[in-house]
Amino acid sequence: MKKGTQVLTDRKKQTTEVITPPKTATQMLYEHHGVLRGIMERLSRTSRDDIEQRRALTDELYSEVQMHERIEEHIFYPAISDFHPKLDAAWSEHRQMTDQLAALLRADPGGARFEEELRLMRDVLEAHAHLDEELEMFPEVERLMDEAWLVEMGERLQDRLDRLRSSRTLRARHRLERMMLRGPGRLIARTMRRGS
Amino acid sequence: MAQHALERLMRKIEGQEWLDRPGHTLEHGYAFVQNVFGLSQRPVRRFLHGVWFGHPLHPALTDVPIGSWTTALVLDTMGAGKGRREREGYQRAARRAVGLGVVGALGAAVTGLTDWQYTHDYARRLGLVHGALNAVALGLYTWSWWERRRERHGRGRLAAMLGYPLVAVSGYLGGGLTFRHLVGADQSEQEADRLLQPRDFTPVLRANELQEGTPRRVEACGVGVLLVRSNGQIHALGETCPHLGGPLSQGWLRDGSIVCPWHGSAFDLETGESQNGPAIAPAPRFQARVRDGRIEVRRVPPVVSAPPGSALTRQQEMPVQPPRPRQREMQP
Repeated sequence: MKKGTQVLTDRKKQTTEVITPPKTATQMLYEHHGVLRGIMERLSRTSRDDIEQRRALTDELYSEVQMHERIEEHIFYPAISDFHPKLDAAWSEHRQMTDQLAALLRADPGGARFEEELRLMRDVLEAHAHLDEELEMFPEVERLMDEAWLVEMGERLQDRLDRLRSSRTLRARHRLERMMLRGPGRLIARTMRRGS
Repeated sequence: MAQHALERLMRKIEGQEWLDRPGHTLEHGYAFVQNVFGLSQRPVRRFLHGVWFGHPLHPALTDVPIGSWTTALVLDTMGAGKGRREREGYQRAARRAVGLGVVGALGAAVTGLTDWQYTHDYARRLGLVHGALNAVALGLYTWSWWERRRERHGRGRLAAMLGYPLVAVSGYLGGGLTFRHLVGADQSEQEADRLLQPRDFTPVLRANELQEGTPRRVEACGVGVLLVRSNGQIHALGETCPHLGGPLSQGWLRDGSIVCPWHGSAFDLETGESQNGPAIAPAPRFQARVRDGRIEVRRVPPVVSAPPGSALTRQQEMPVQPPRPRQREMQP
């Protein structure tokens, strides 16, 4: 039993020990979509001069999208594959997000291309998260599965997400990936600047 | 009998769900390589899928290794039992044929992998096995070439004999990908509509309901049509992607083209032409105009080289009734 008043912070994405009522799988994924949307919202409010902030937020977006894809692909999709036939489309949409994320990393954070890629990133995310999952897949899963299954699945997803977020190896891996993805793009941009 | 055995094999492979995980791991890895080296960008994709060619590039390239390795097999057989000097000529020729096949197979591997990453379920599993068999065969033929170069022709012939049946079976599976699963074929529903509906302008939506930059799906005579307003102009294309039938209305706009949400094929809004693949065929085109505040569409008949005066040409030239002066203006 909890004692005293519980102060609810509005920092949603922190993995603090706040005791919350059990979340169902679809709620949990829906909330994580919110986290991704929040990062992009913050990114779109940054100015071109604030390169550091843009880079830091892009890094955060990269990690969160990668982790989101991972928990869905490893836990959620295999669990619903028996009754949801259109999973291949969802897999393909993840691939589109990965490619768009790479395009965003390649773009120079101080340029107009970055803003264009960010707009596209939002479109790509909404095509998957909203049009496919939130409007079609999630309601169907909620209709077909009972509360206990959904809550148990939600716990598994949350548990895995927490573990991924605190994994040092994964963080290092993401950093390396970002470095490699930015590498050639930055090199090309620099060469072009020197040429002009 | 052999035919049934091969078909059973194909069905068996299609049912192997455990192949999905290694398949996705391979795709993730290849996606990363493509993104690091910029291979996922438009010109490279266009080249590898064969959009410039008007036909998937991979099936065309596979003829090079299959033909060359068949030639090597023939040369090996002909050279056997000949005198020493004559045999040397055959051996040299066979080595060249094997080498050319290896080069062609590398090209087929890259284009095949690029096509394969954008396939779904059954075709995906079949494609993975097809690729794996070919990779083993490529290894055997590379070994064969190496041994032949070091004048160890016996081993070279053995490696080629081991590789050839693999290539043959794998070629059959590759045929299954095309003829059973229609990978690389035009799968757009609107293209399948031979009646070319709607023939006359049909109202589909109020003009003020179509917002700039937000694609929408409408139906006209039972045909799904994609409507997009870009820079104020209204464009209409077939709504399902010619590649695997993805819903284009759920896609997004990139540099003047609509992008399929499933595999990223981009189609020019004006012409419907595919920009980068995996879709090769263009998206079917529709004409759009605004009348009395409503958007009306009709199918643009495909331009074919029909002889002048034929029924098809007349149909294209026929004025839209009721005859009104120039019906080109598409602006709201």
